[in-house]
Amino acid sequence: MTFHLLNIAIVVVLSLIGIGLYGLMIARNLIKVVVGLQIATKGAILAFVLAGRLASQVDVGQSLALTVIVADTIVAVVALALAVQVRQKFGTLNIEALKTLRR
Amino acid sequence: MVSNLILLVIGLPWIGALFVWWVGDHQPRWQHYLAIGFSVAAGIAALALLPLYSSQPGLILSVGGVFGDFSFVPDGLGVMLAAIATVIGSLAVIFSKDYMHGEAQLGRYYALVLFFIGSMAGLVLTSNLFLMFLFWEITALCSYALISFYNDDPKAVAGGIKALVITQLGGIGLLVAAVLAYSYLGSFDLSVLLKDANRLPANVLGILAFGSLIAAAAKSAQFPFQTWLPDAMEAPTPVSALIHAATMVNAGVYLLARLYPAFESVPFWRDAVMLVGVLSALMAALMALVATDLKRVLAYSTVSQLGYMVYAVGAGGVLASQFHLLSHAIFKALLFLGAGAVIHSVGTRDLRQMGGLKKQLPFVWLVFGVGALALAGLPVLNGFWSKELILEAGLNGGPQWMFGVMVFSAGLTALYTFRCVWLVFYGEPRSHLHAHDAGTAMKAALAPLAVGALLSWLLVGGLSEMLAVTLPYHEIHSLTIGEMALEIFTAPATWIALGVIALGLAAWWWRSRLQLFTEALQGVGRAAEQSFGFEAINRAVLALTAQAAEDLRGLQTGLLNWNILAIVTALAVVIALLALGA
Repeated sequence: MTFHLLNIAIVVVLSLIGIGLYGLMIARNLIKVVVGLQIATKGAILAFVLAGRLASQVDVGQSLALTVIVADTIVAVVALALAVQVRQKFGTLNIEALKTLRR
Repeated sequence: MVSNLILLVIGLPWIGALFVWWVGDHQPRWQHYLAIGFSVAAGIAALALLPLYSSQPGLILSVGGVFGDFSFVPDGLGVMLAAIATVIGSLAVIFSKDYMHGEAQLGRYYALVLFFIGSMAGLVLTSNLFLMFLFWEITALCSYALISFYNDDPKAVAGGIKALVITQLGGIGLLVAAVLAYSYLGSFDLSVLLKDANRLPANVLGILAFGSLIAAAAKSAQFPFQTWLPDAMEAPTPVSALIHAATMVNAGVYLLARLYPAFESVPFWRDAVMLVGVLSALMAALMALVATDLKRVLAYSTVSQLGYMVYAVGAGGVLASQFHLLSHAIFKALLFLGAGAVIHSVGTRDLRQMGGLKKQLPFVWLVFGVGALALAGLPVLNGFWSKELILEAGLNGGPQWMFGVMVFSAGLTALYTFRCVWLVFYGEPRSHLHAHDAGTAMKAALAPLAVGALLSWLLVGGLSEMLAVTLPYHEIHSLTIGEMALEIFTAPATWIALGVIALGLAAWWWRSRLQLFTEALQGVGRAAEQSFGFEAINRAVLALTAQAAEDLRGLQTGLLNWNILAIVTALAVVIALLALGA
């Protein structure tokens, strides 16, 4: 039974990270980029919990997961605030407009 | 007691740096006096530490399990170099009171100088390789910032960046050595490395040894990294005297001397060290012969003299190298500060515009002359004794041809020294220069150094005793003055060297009659003026790096989607490799 659950957890972790990265690869809208990043990070958090369980250090895994959740929230907030600024400055949310940051 | 003194030697200059910065540039008088006060206090603390030498840690700062303890050992090498750094540091700061009078941004200047003095003392006193690396990098940073002190002068900025980049190469060598030592021995402690060096696999010890050699060569401006030191002469002259002659450039020699017992048996290491020293000594002496900038002549001569020290370490003469380090620190600081007084007085560094300054600058002429005689290696000044000890060690521990080259370089040293003195102080004035003799603070800094250049060789007994007692792995035998004198005067090396030095002097004296000879050597002179092609190599490497960076810009699309695709691809490759390999 445990084995079965473990498989499910691994599949969920991989698919969350996969979906998130896929979103980051194709999204042109800054809001969608933030969403993709969030999905990928959620997969990573779940991976922490899973790794803690596998290494029988559940407490370490869970506290790391909590830390990442806090940091991740801040990332989301700042990213959305930046998105608002980008919309005001460039008049669009399309990330191609940000190409000018390259130089 | 010892622990407090160590803290004072490192801490006083650092606190002083904070105070000077805090006082602000609108109170330059206070900045001068605070800097002098703190540096002199640190110098006194270092002198008080001298008799308390021991091979046991004097101060241990516990910083948890990762880096080991930050321990400081006041052994012979450490206390001597800390005393050199702080005492010459305080003299350079005293000199700065006149030299930097009326300059803007004194706070930045003094804060960096004091920060440097404290870090240099820490670098030589610590026995933790990791902490040593940190201090090593702080000194490099201060050196860079002070070379570029006049930051509206493009030459000064370029010189600073060049020094920073080249000394970084050495820093990497040291870091690699430290990390490797830690991963195999489980400790950053130098005594552990010296004790258990034979426990390391031969190839690892080889990497350690040659990594340290690279670190030392870059820091001490040795072949093939010597090009940064002449360009570092854009710094204010007291900084050149302190950092680029008397202290920081010695750190490389110090590292080699400190780790010599561990690397002694590594195949080719000693030969490589000696070769680096010989090449540096010879090439730099030739370049000093043709340079036309007073400070650059001294810079080349520093490279050349450091070459002697490196050569001595390679030949097994650790005591000789450290004795010459002491002598060189004193007479080269004297020469640089004397040159500073000349430059401050006439407002140019170009030897071709000077001449006949003896009448106008009698005091500077006197002390510069003492320094020059010591540099040329004439008896009985300190440079004579230590250079002869080095040549003797080289004859005993190295191949004959290297000894021959070093003796030849000693003749060149005498030649370029007298050329320099002649061009500055003798002959007819070559342009209208308004000269005024040195100020009080300058004299107060120059006089003790001149006395030191005359008498510091009397300290050999105490120095050798100190090194012999506190360095258990080095097998140094203590040497009294009488024994040293007997040894030197009965060694054939001495008389050969004195003969060659006399030839060097004679060559300058009868230079007009040697016309044919000098014309034959024009080619060498031109090559020396081009720094034997090393500047061209530097420029080529720089151009290559810049071009590669420019070409790689294309990869930077600025589009998030492409970047993520690259990350995912790299991740897939790594996973595939792991799946296949493991």
